[in-house]
Order: sequence, then structure tokens, then C-alpha cells
Amino acid sequence: MRRLAMPGEFARKSETLDVGNNETRRTAAAETAEDPHHPTNSTGLKKAFPVLALNYDYVRKPFEIALWILLALLMKLGFHIIPRVSNVVPESCLLIGVGLLVGGIIRAIREEAPVLNTELFFLYLLPPIILDAGYFLPIRAFTENMGTILVFAVVGTLWNAFFIGGMIFGVCQIEGAQLAGVDLLSCLLFGTIVSAVDPVAVLAVFEEIHINELLYILVFGESLLNDAVTVVLYHLFEEFSHAGTVTVADAFLGIACFFVVSLGGIMVGAIYGLLGAFTSRFTSHTRVIEPLFVFLYSYMAYLSAEVFHLSGIMSLIACGVTMRPYVEANVSHKSYTTIKYFMKMWSSVSETLIFIFLGVSTVAGPHAWNWTFVILTVVLCLVSRVLGVIGLTYIINKFRIVKLTKKDQFIMAYGGLRGAIAFSLGFLLTDDNEMKSMFLTAIITVIFFTVIVQGMTIRPLVELLAVKRKNESKGSINEEIHTQFLDHLLTGIEDVCGHYGHHHWKDKLNRFNKTYVKRWLIAGERSTEPQLISFYNKMEMKQAMMLVESGSAARPPTHASSVSMQNIQPRESARGRAIPSISKSREQEIRKVLRGHLQNTRQRLRSYSRHDLLVDPFEDHVSEVRFRKQRVEMERRMSHYLTVPANRQETPAVRKVCFEPEHRVYTYDDGESPRGRAAQPRPGPADGVSLVSESPPGLGARGPDQEQEDQLKLSRCLSDPGPNHNKEEEE
Amino acid sequence: MGSRASTLLRDEEIEEIKKETGFSHSQITRLYSRFTSLDKGENGTLSREDFQRIPELAINPLGDRIINAFFPEGEDQVNFRGFMRTLAHFRPIEDNEKSKNAAVSEPLNSRTNKLMFAFRLYDLDRDDKISRDELLQVLRMMVGVNISDDQLGSIADRTIQEADTNGDNSISFNEFIKVLEKVDVEQKMSIRFLH
Repeated sequence: MRRLAMPGEFARKSETLDVGNNETRRTAAAETAEDPHHPTNSTGLKKAFPVLALNYDYVRKPFEIALWILLALLMKLGFHIIPRVSNVVPESCLLIGVGLLVGGIIRAIREEAPVLNTELFFLYLLPPIILDAGYFLPIRAFTENMGTILVFAVVGTLWNAFFIGGMIFGVCQIEGAQLAGVDLLSCLLFGTIVSAVDPVAVLAVFEEIHINELLYILVFGESLLNDAVTVVLYHLFEEFSHAGTVTVADAFLGIACFFVVSLGGIMVGAIYGLLGAFTSRFTSHTRVIEPLFVFLYSYMAYLSAEVFHLSGIMSLIACGVTMRPYVEANVSHKSYTTIKYFMKMWSSVSETLIFIFLGVSTVAGPHAWNWTFVILTVVLCLVSRVLGVIGLTYIINKFRIVKLTKKDQFIMAYGGLRGAIAFSLGFLLTDDNEMKSMFLTAIITVIFFTVIVQGMTIRPLVELLAVKRKNESKGSINEEIHTQFLDHLLTGIEDVCGHYGHHHWKDKLNRFNKTYVKRWLIAGERSTEPQLISFYNKMEMKQAMMLVESGSAARPPTHASSVSMQNIQPRESARGRAIPSISKSREQEIRKVLRGHLQNTRQRLRSYSRHDLLVDPFEDHVSEVRFRKQRVEMERRMSHYLTVPANRQETPAVRKVCFEPEHRVYTYDDGESPRGRAAQPRPGPADGVSLVSESPPGLGARGPDQEQEDQLKLSRCLSDPGPNHNKEEEE
Repeated sequence: MGSRASTLLRDEEIEEIKKETGFSHSQITRLYSRFTSLDKGENGTLSREDFQRIPELAINPLGDRIINAFFPEGEDQVNFRGFMRTLAHFRPIEDNEKSKNAAVSEPLNSRTNKLMFAFRLYDLDRDDKISRDELLQVLRMMVGVNISDDQLGSIADRTIQEADTNGDNSISFNEFIKVLEKVDVEQKMSIRFLH
């Protein structure tokens, strides 16, 4: 809204609480260039200065959007607080229910309901979900099952579209009732719209049932890749439903269009992905905006593909998949967390909004209920899905190593949910298609049926059939090593056989990636880091984070990461028992006290050692305090080490027999290794230190010594890349 | 090549190999032609040099170990039966084989035998344990030269610690199996030999 137009609107629409009368308003309206705060210029009448004014229209749009999102999220929150409900009913159903309710309310008060129009859906609500799915796609499982997924996506969707369209046309011809006006092309168009498995709905339902990875990737992958088929068929039939006929040439053009759409989409996505990866190479100085690059490049990939009517979904997925390994090697840990959480957040909000809007649009939208048509559609959807899955699995199993069992087939057939994409495509139909209302009603019914009925019953069915569930295992270094080992082994065997299979090409791609691509796209020394080392570093990083956050130094023996840990495993558990743990508030209190009285406690700081804590019972409180302080220092040190690159020159472990003097703790800011001073043992004895120095080197000196060594080991493993360590420390 | 294959490989041999390894007739013939193409000396056996002539194997980090796996203890030549016996480990597990009773000796491509094959590639000294040194050697081969010994050492230690349940600081075959129980070995260690 232009600033100049405001006074006029202000005068016309808003309900001002000023004491002015109608004359003022009219005259103010007449002179639209007037500033509303000085109406006295034009007339003699003076309006009282509005202390409190109400101007809703100014903030109307953002206010309503924010309100909608807030309500949606509050609903989502509410569902999870009520535990019984969320176990039985999947969240998507509840959200649709809420949408229906809200739609009903809006209709009752005769307001105009916001409809899930196509632009809103395709440009704003869908991309975050797809980006989230694509970025975190399990690549290994996806590529291993790529053939199966493609067959289901392409052939399966084609089969569904033609079967449903054809059968409906056939039935319409037979019926003769008011359905005779539906011609073949419209039927096929309808079939296309209603046949595509929807990624949003599949995600929403499958996330909650934690099914095994194979089934998840098959159904989900299919829902992603069938977008290309849907786009082509949709445009093909829509174009020709106006023209009236389809020739053979058109069919061939359609096939060519399919390849253009899918491959073009992937290429656009890959280009943007590489650009994003390349950009992230230089972001070491501006870490704060790193996540934005990821999001913006991906969104641009989506929009660019949509410009040319290429498959936006495939472009987005290709972008995420291409970008991910390089971006993750380049960005800082904080940016990585930001990216992850923002993506999850946006996709969660989008999903919630989509389902609510679906409910609202159902109440609002124009409906034309036709029993035959709707029931027929629902039944045909189910039948065609089942037939398609069975038929295709029979063919695919001839080529698969791990065959798909009957249980798998059932879940795949049952998991073919339709969702908001179908609705939006139906909405997109031009209004001169007289069957539009009927189509929309049928589409909505199918969506409701699949999401509500199938969504609700799939969980008990999964349990009933004892389908394999997802392995909730954290990354194991063993699995990683052995999997890579097996990869190399299989590649070698394939070469011996002269068989150019899956492993051979994967190996070639990896080699190409390592020699040419990584050099350009990854900054610094990370570009030559083998995958195993990155994996290991990540694990160590995670563990270090856990360590810092746990608030107690008792490290469970199983998570030890350094060599020395193993040698003293028994004493470690003893140490664990000896350490008291205090609550967070107490810790804060103590830190405050310490900061205030730093000077005083300096001299009396003792080295951290097992012996210390046990032998001075009367000094329990003080040693506790000192121990906490040491922990604070350790944490600070650790966070410093987190920014130091891995390839530091490590100094050999020095056995110290006396404790380190106090002030050494503060000298690490010079970037100097604490070990640098280890060569000169400090003489300063304080109470209790003699204990440390007298105990045999193998035991007592382990205390501070070991901590130092652990720090070093951690620092070697934790690498936060970037040439400027100091700057990062400030962040 | 085709005619050589049929004259030098008698039907009885094919039958024996079929029984022992489970390969089909066409697969055996195809692999035999590969065997003869590798056998430059034309003496019916392969030596280590024949394997090393395969270009991709030279750049494979585990190339030498794979080659060694084909040769039985202490021998320098492997004939076609030995060749097939090794390759049989990588045959996909058929559904109908899964239900075979335990009385029949386990086929070469069972899950346990596949894992045993992989285990033997780690465990060079055949003491049925993967020691820290053996693990370090494999890691060094896979990771290259840029990583320091210490770092590799900590990875190796962590690996052993994760897997080791009986505290002997090495990975036994059972521990190996346990660690890989979540990995789909039947799929990972199978090659689809085209008909």
C-alpha cells in the first residue's frame, strides 16, 4: 500500500475513535494527498488527536497468515499433549479434522475462507517439505533400489492413470446417467490427477509407523519420482482435452516430453546444487548466512524448473542430493544444525498448514456430489493400486537380489496415499471444464479415504503383520568400516568377473568425485579427507557434545574415545562413582560465586585427581566447587579445540608428576598448546599436591595428564574447518 | 573362445561345479570364458600375475587381499574349480535355498559363509581373531597415506571397543557377525551374475 493512499483509506475504512465527525472524514477523503494527522489544514474543524486508533487493514494480511500458522502449530502441540489420541489417529487426520472444523466455523460466520489455491500450495507450501525430504534422503538405499523405484513411479503411475481413466470412461458410457458428458480425455485427465501417490501424505503417515528402510524408500521414492510422469500426463491431457483428439504423434511427443521434463529437472537441480556447493566453499568468513545459501539455491532450483514446466520436485531433490556432501564438509557445525532444524521446522509447518487447508477447502469448495462417480473412483483407486503393485513386483522380482515379499507388497499397495497434490492439480483445472466440481469432490473423497482410513489402519496392520521395523541404531564405526570394506571387496570381485555392475559404477563415481570434484567444491584440507575419517570425526564430535552437555564428568566406559581410557577402564568407573553431580541451578550459583571471587580461589585450585576428592572429606564442599570450576575451564578449552583443525602437530605425551600451576589454565588463549609448557615442571606445591607427585607415575599423574591427552585427542578428531580459528571462537 | 570353452570344459565337470557351487549351466560357461580370457599362459590355471593384469584391481585398496583369497593355502596357481568355488560365495541367496534343512552342508553362499569369507580377508594370520594390527592394516589401505597413525589408531581402538564383548581386545568371528547383524549382508555381498 502506498503511503499516499493511506489517508484516504484511513479515512474511509478504519474505525477511528477520534471525536471528529463525518464532515472531517469526507473532506479528508476528498483531499487524498492530505496527511491524516493534520486535517486542520483544509477545514476549520479540528479533530482530536487519536491516542488509540484501530487500523486492522494495515496488518491484515501478515496478521492473518501469522495467526493461521500459530493456530496450526498450537493444534499440533495440543495433539501431542493428549497421548491417547495421537497413538491411534495419525496427525494428518487430526489436522484435517481441525481444518474441517475451522472451515465450518468460517462458513457459519459467512466469511471468505482461505482456499488452498494452487499458487499457495505449489510455490510456498510444497517446496519446504520436498527439500527436507530430498536433503535427508538416504542415498545408499535410494540408489540401490533405484530400478525398482523408477519402475513403480513411471510404469505404476501410467498404469494407474490409464486404468482409472479408462474404467471410469467405460462406466460412464454404460450408465447413461448425467455422466455421459464426460469424454475420454477428461476421464484420463481425472485419472492422472487421482493416480499419483503423494509424498506429503506418505511422509506424514510413514514417519509415525517407523517402518523398515526398504519399504519406506520404495514408497516414498515412488511418490517423489512420479511427479515427472504426473506433470507430463497432466499437461498432455489438459492441452488435448481442449483440442479433443490425441494423435500418435502427440503420444510420441508426450514420451519425449517425459524425458525432457525429468532429465531437465534433474539437470537444473544438479546445476544449482553444484553452485550451492561451490558457494559454500567461500563462506568461512560469513558463517551466519551459510544456511541461507542452501535454502535459496534450492528454492531457486525449484522455481527455475517450474518456469520451464520441468519437474520442480525432481529438481529440488537433485539439488539437495548434489549439494549435501559438499556443503556438510564446508559449513560449520552450527550452520549444519541450523540448516537441519530450519528445514525440519519449515517442512513441519508446511505439512500442518497443508492438511488444515485441505480441511478448510473441503468445506468451502464447490461440490457436486455424484454417488456413482465418487464410489467408483475410490474403488478403482484401490483396485488399480493393488493390481499395479502385484503385477510390477512379479516382474521386478526377477531382477532383484532381495525379493519383495507378499507382506512388502501389501504395505506398498496400502501405503499408496493420495494427498494435497491431487487436490491442487484438480483445483488447477480450468473452470470451463464443467466436470470440475464433480472431479474435485471425488478427489477430496479419495484423499480423505486414503489419509483417514488407510492412514489410521496402517499402524495396527503393520503390527499385525509383524512387518520389519526401522532399526534405531546410532551410527556405528564398525558398520561404516565394514560396509566400505565390503564395497571395495565387491568391486574387486566384479572386476575379476568382468561384470560391470552396481559396485563398479559406484566405485567409478566415487573415484571421479575424489579426484576432480571434491577439489573444487570443498574448502581447505577437508577436500582430501577420506569418508571414513569424516564419519569418525562426526561421531567424536557428537560424543564431545554429549560430554559437555551431560553436566557430569562420569563418562560411561563404553564411550571412551582415547587410547589411555582403555588402560584404566576399571579405575574409570571408580572415578565415575566418586564424582558428585549437582543440579544446574547450583552450578550457575557456583559459577557466579566463582566469577566474583576468582582471585581468591586461584591459589587454592588443585589439580583434578581421583585421590583428591576422596581424601579430604572436610573439604568436600570446596573441592566440589573447585571441581566445577575446572569443568567450566575444560568446557571452554574444549570449545576452543573444536575450532582447531585436525592436522595439528601433536607433541608426544609428557608424564607430569606435579600438577600444573594455576595460571596455565588461562594461557591457552595464545593458541599455544598446553603441552608447550609441560617440559618445565612447575615447582609450586600446594596442599594435597604432594599426593599427586608422590604417587607412581602410572596412576596419580593420570589425573590431569589424562585430561590433557583426552583434550588433545578430541581436538585432533574434532575439526571445524576454516582458516580463521580466532574469528570462529568469537561466534 | 566359445569353441575352446566347450571343448576344454567337459559336461561332467560342469555338473560337479554346479553341485558344489550352485551356479547354473550358462553362468558356469560364461565364467569359464572369463577364466580363459584371464589365463594368458593358457595352461588352465591362473597365477597371481594374471589377476594383477586386471586394471581396476590394481587401484582397488583391497586388490592384493582379494587376489590372495582365490589361492588356497600356500599355492600359486588356481584352477577353474577353485576360481568358481571362491566366486560361489557371492552368489545371491535363492529363496528356495533358505528352507533347506540343516542336515545338508551349508551352501557356499550362505550368510555365514559370506561373512567368513570377509572375515578371512581381515584375518591374515588365520588365528580366528582380527587383532588391532590387522585392523590397522586394513584401515591404512582404505584410508590412504594422508592420515596420521595416531588417528587411525584411535579409530581402530574405538572399532574394537565397540565390537569386543569378551574383552580380548580383538574381534572374533562371532563378534564380527554380531556387529554386522543390522547390515543386509545377503544383498551387500551378492553379485547378480547375469544369465
